[in-house]
Amino acid sequence: MEWTDLIITAVKTAVIYLGMVQVVPIMLIVERRGAALMQDRPGPNRVGPFGLFQPIADVIKMMMKEVTVPRQVNKALFLLGPFLVLFPASLVIAALPFGDYFTLLGRDYLLQVANIDVGILYVLAIGSLGIYGILFGGWASNNKFSLIGAMRSSSQIISYEIPLGLAACSAVLWYGSFSLREMVYTQEGTFLGILPNWGFFYQPIGFLLFFIAAFAETNRLPFDLPETEAELVAGFHTEYGPMDFGTFFMAEYMNMATMSGLMVAMYFGGWHLPWVSDVTLLQWLGSRNLLAALQVVTVIVKISVFMLMFVWVRWTLPRFRFDQLMRLAWRNLIPIGLINLVITALIMYFRSAQ
Amino acid sequence: MREVLFIAFSLFTIGAASGVLLSRNPVYSAFSLILSFFGLSGLYLLWGSTFMAMIQILIYTGAIVVLFVFVVMLLNLQTNRENSSNIVFLGVVSASVWLFSLIILRVLTRSIPNKILEIPENQLRTISKLLFTRYLWPFEILSFFLLVMIIAIFAITRTQEIAHGGEK
Repeated sequence: MEWTDLIITAVKTAVIYLGMVQVVPIMLIVERRGAALMQDRPGPNRVGPFGLFQPIADVIKMMMKEVTVPRQVNKALFLLGPFLVLFPASLVIAALPFGDYFTLLGRDYLLQVANIDVGILYVLAIGSLGIYGILFGGWASNNKFSLIGAMRSSSQIISYEIPLGLAACSAVLWYGSFSLREMVYTQEGTFLGILPNWGFFYQPIGFLLFFIAAFAETNRLPFDLPETEAELVAGFHTEYGPMDFGTFFMAEYMNMATMSGLMVAMYFGGWHLPWVSDVTLLQWLGSRNLLAALQVVTVIVKISVFMLMFVWVRWTLPRFRFDQLMRLAWRNLIPIGLINLVITALIMYFRSAQ
Repeated sequence: MREVLFIAFSLFTIGAASGVLLSRNPVYSAFSLILSFFGLSGLYLLWGSTFMAMIQILIYTGAIVVLFVFVVMLLNLQTNRENSSNIVFLGVVSASVWLFSLIILRVLTRSIPNKILEIPENQLRTISKLLFTRYLWPFEILSFFLLVMIIAIFAITRTQEIAHGGEK
């Protein structure tokens, strides 16, 4: 590895990470305006044109507020909590593929921080660590509401990791690879001549399971039981001050972006445009770097669609009750996931036997 | 570089593991356990086995320790030392010393391989093939044991519930 490689990798990491952090302020305004749209009211529209500077005002407010640490808390774990949530949320971004590769000074660089050969396992493994921040933070708050919120969160995330994993297993079986990049490569071209060759058309049940479980994993409505304001004040972050709460908030949005990125890479063709192959596009555009830019834009647009769906679902569906949530995971989603896995395995077996 | 990293990860793992034993607060113990698993997966990564490293984090750190922490918090264990009597303490210490000396003996009497084992190109395929051919029976028997244990736990908790008149 040369020095230029090292510098470019560092720059790439910084650009992708900072780009993903921008999801937070954008989603702040999108979510509030989206809610307003669905509830037939204007929403925040005073700060800047169309209220676009509202996130800046929100962040300044959070930064300026006094930082308070309640006296009854376990200080070390209490302060560690938000960072234990943000840290894994930032790490998983490394495995997401944003495009094929770009050329610089005669060398090719992948549009991905790290091309891990077991990418999907990496995302699931690191992604499951975010729960510790919630658990320790909730416990250290020394408050019944926080503790119950943390407990709910952990049992919910563990339960929904199983359908998520089963859906991922079926996808891995289908593509024959654990690498997200390999999965995206397989999805080029068309299926039956009309549809794009995307995983969604081969694994619709798997996608549905993954989609539902993604909501539970990110603690979003209709599965935001860890922070139900009607029963638990604010759940695990009841005792937290302004920016600590902000950190939890950031992590939630970054997790949503990662989950969207995963769904795009696994089920919606990653950087591929429908019906057009990369080779044809390269002929039209004439330059590898232009193609890379187009691929990044494609991925971002696809991720944005999923982010909008998160907002849409949030303001459409009411919250589940906790026993309903558990029943949905254990009695419905897990059996469906197992059946899907067996069917996928059978199809793969008969296809290879031919 | 490799040696430095190896020593760093090993020291980290050992330090965290002794933290599990030495801390009075069970929640701190669980936290140290997480750290020591991280050290272990770092060692796996160093040996070039990404799959093992990820599985280590996914299963042990991501699932099993979460359950530990869950139980510790749910039972709200207090930090009291009076629970453990001297006899139990002595028993634990002697068992540890005995096991540790066994390991030392084993290491001293056997020749230690001088090179790092070859990691095959496609680890996943190799592991899966071994699991489903050479180690099929141990694998199946182990999973059967796990199933039996799950059913046993279920049966025990359910009968107690029924005995106390709880019906669901």
